[in-house]
Amino acid sequence: MVLISAVRDYVNRMLQDISGMKVLILDSQTVSIVSVVYSQSELLQKEVFLVELVDSISKSKEPMSHLKAVYFLRPTSENIQHMRRQLASPRFGEYHLFFSNLLKDTQLHILADSDEHEVVQQVQEFYADFVANDPYHFSLNIPSNYMYMLPAVVDPSNLQHFCDRVVDGIAAIFLALKRRPVVRYQRTSDIAKRIAQETSKLMYQQESGLFDFRRTEVSPLLLVIDRRDDPVTPLLNQWTYQAMVHELIGIQDNKVDLRNIGKTSKDQQEVVLSSEQDAFFKANMYENFGDIGMNIKRMVDEFQQVAKSNQSIQTIEDMAKFVDNYPEYRKMHGNVSKHVSLVTEMSKTVEERKLMLVSQTEQELACNGGQGAAFEAVTNLLNNESVSDIDRLRLVMLYALRYEKESPVQLMQLFNKLASQSPKYKPGLVQFMLKQAGVDKRTGDLYGNRDLLNIALNMARGLKGVENVYTQHQPLLFQTMESITKGRLRDVDYPYVGNHFQQGRPQEVVIFIVGGTTYEESRSVALQNAINSGIRFILGGSVVLNSKRFLKDLEDAQRTARSSTNLV
Amino acid sequence: MATRNRTTVFRKYRDALNSNRLPELSSTSSGGPVIEMATTSFLNSNRSYAPLSTEDPGPSSRDAFTVGLPPDWVDVSEEIAANIQRARVTMAELVKAHAKALTPSFGDGKEDQCVIEALSQEITVLLRKSEKRLQKFSASGSSEDSNIRRNVQRFLATDLQNLSMDLRKKQSMYLKRLQQQKEGHDGLDLEMNLNENKSRWEDNGSSDMGFSVHQMAKLKMSEQFTAEREREIRQVLESVNELAQIMKDLSVLVIDQGTIVDRIDYNIQNVAVSVEDGFKQLQKVLSLSLSLSPPRTHTHAHKVLYNHNKLSFLKHSTFNIWSMHISECDFNWNCRQRKLREKGEWLRVQQCLLSCASSC
Repeated sequence: MVLISAVRDYVNRMLQDISGMKVLILDSQTVSIVSVVYSQSELLQKEVFLVELVDSISKSKEPMSHLKAVYFLRPTSENIQHMRRQLASPRFGEYHLFFSNLLKDTQLHILADSDEHEVVQQVQEFYADFVANDPYHFSLNIPSNYMYMLPAVVDPSNLQHFCDRVVDGIAAIFLALKRRPVVRYQRTSDIAKRIAQETSKLMYQQESGLFDFRRTEVSPLLLVIDRRDDPVTPLLNQWTYQAMVHELIGIQDNKVDLRNIGKTSKDQQEVVLSSEQDAFFKANMYENFGDIGMNIKRMVDEFQQVAKSNQSIQTIEDMAKFVDNYPEYRKMHGNVSKHVSLVTEMSKTVEERKLMLVSQTEQELACNGGQGAAFEAVTNLLNNESVSDIDRLRLVMLYALRYEKESPVQLMQLFNKLASQSPKYKPGLVQFMLKQAGVDKRTGDLYGNRDLLNIALNMARGLKGVENVYTQHQPLLFQTMESITKGRLRDVDYPYVGNHFQQGRPQEVVIFIVGGTTYEESRSVALQNAINSGIRFILGGSVVLNSKRFLKDLEDAQRTARSSTNLV
Repeated sequence: MATRNRTTVFRKYRDALNSNRLPELSSTSSGGPVIEMATTSFLNSNRSYAPLSTEDPGPSSRDAFTVGLPPDWVDVSEEIAANIQRARVTMAELVKAHAKALTPSFGDGKEDQCVIEALSQEITVLLRKSEKRLQKFSASGSSEDSNIRRNVQRFLATDLQNLSMDLRKKQSMYLKRLQQQKEGHDGLDLEMNLNENKSRWEDNGSSDMGFSVHQMAKLKMSEQFTAEREREIRQVLESVNELAQIMKDLSVLVIDQGTIVDRIDYNIQNVAVSVEDGFKQLQKVLSLSLSLSPPRTHTHAHKVLYNHNKLSFLKHSTFNIWSMHISECDFNWNCRQRKLREKGEWLRVQQCLLSCASSC
């Protein structure tokens, strides 16, 4: 709840003191930020009768001085330019400006300069600069996410933009929570180190006054890690509800777009999957596919009971009852349709792409040993006609990540097979990924085979057997969280920035994954928080990944790297 | 959560910059350009604005940004909001009157009934009037203005609908309690009658099979009570059904919470919605509702309807059709209560309802 309620509080405060009819003006980023926590009907309750984007509102010239304008924008130079133009010829009666992050003095000067008509009533910084998808999970929706994979020399200015956006987002989180953390980062990642240092500089030097909050006994912890330390999780196919929908269809800002998928009825073309508004989703978002099927069937049965009782209308009282219950009935009906369409769609995809077969091998590659068996399984699937290109690529990647060093000959054979069968995906991409995230680059013990303790644990788990072969994978993040809980996060692997130090366990931990999080990881965090171990974890990333997005980032990075070497 | 107020710094900069600008302005001949810039935007529009511009140039050129009057529909919306507020107040009074009427008293309670009826009537009239004015909010003018109108409409419609539902609930609760009370009263009477009959019969033996005069009188009284109760119940039901009508008319305008239509980003993308051609769909629905059979899986029903906004309009228009049937039924109830239960009438009503329920 903490992230969602923080953003909601900010929006409430923006609107509450301004009376009368209002127009809310957002930019393309703040639209996402506000839309995931606030609904249109709630805006109407606050007398906000028009919502517009800042770039489209400048096109119209029509004055509306009976409206008060509330602007909520990111403090970028484009937005400041928009504001300049709009303040120069104001359309609304009053202007209330809210920015989602720190304004530079120069920007403030520009705004003051353009406000010739003195229509601006207030200028405030409200630090809601992140998209709160779930109570403990946020994203920054950074478009050119792939920049993190490239060395600084390739495109320094864009990389600086990327880092700035990340630092802004992390700073906003801590300002919203009113905390100043101790910062640690993953040793092997340059970009994690850079972001950690810049964040620390902002919080402790540049704006130390702003961040000077009441100190708790043990400071909270900010841990900045790199996606490439765990490249396996985004590549795997998912079988729990929220993660599966994102993997097979795609969730953006808690919305699912079903328009390109087969034939759906008009009111099911875009649906909302939000744990705050949908009780069924909240109860089932972390359940696996089999259980979801059963629960949906139960929900459909319940609904049909209600529908049947609506059909037995014998008296006037029954009719009156029908009228009373109609809104509830309609809402229930909409919800049932939504979940049924999603699950139907996903079942169809699972069937077409033979995902049960593919995923079994994926999980074996991610979790268990046996290089020979793995090689055979992957070869068979590569030969299978019904397996799609993207699945073939993922299998080869997962194999390569695991058995990179063990049998180069067989790896080469797989590469050749992939090249011959997938016109779209070149083995070069796999090799690029190995360069990015191969065993030499990783800090964490991804496969649990680096030290004796982990090997023993693994063997014990193998002997015990697994409940569900499709969900046996635990993301590396789970181990990281366990280490933090036990106070055993190694300084060698995750050093502190500067002279920070932490004695004892923190009570609040924010983990930021540069390169993006996955819903499997956010599930891990939510389940960990539910255990009540005394530590509250919050997870965030530059985007929310699925395998398609992760592969796209790899491709974009590879292309950019190649073109830059061509230039040199 | 932390915030930072930059307004004072901003004002400081602004004042500094504006004071620097002033000497420049007084150096120009008329200071006209600033005023022109502010007023031309109004002159270009065809709206019913009456700019209250000041004509002095120079230092007060800053105030040349004129404040125009809001458009006419704002007055209408304020009027509707005032009506809603008045209806709320009256409803509080109605609740008090209900409570008073339900407490047992020595009088026959006719006064209370009148008061209740008057109040209910007043509220219903207010709601009806507001609803009619709300429907008149047309979507003419620029797209931005029509957006605002539509949103204001939605906001007021939600309020009206909540109020109507509230009123209906209160009325049906009152009705139930009333029925319970009167039934208890009647039941008591009937019991007394039965006991008396029994005792008399035992007294007279088997020879006297009919009712005595005394018992006839008692029967007539209880019949009167029943008739009166029926009348009261009918009155309340009439207003209940009228409110059902209002509620459903308003449903067209109200947003479903938790769906995609309630998302801000969705609304920004899909700006213009035409509700007028939903009327054509209404005709189609009329023919459809007669031919639809209950679906095996509820997904089938969707294939027929093909636009989200039109869909909600459709669902509610079919709803309107059958809610009209309710009022029709109710009107007939008093005179043809038993006949209603006859196959013909009921089947017609039932069919409409079933088709509506299944087309959802």
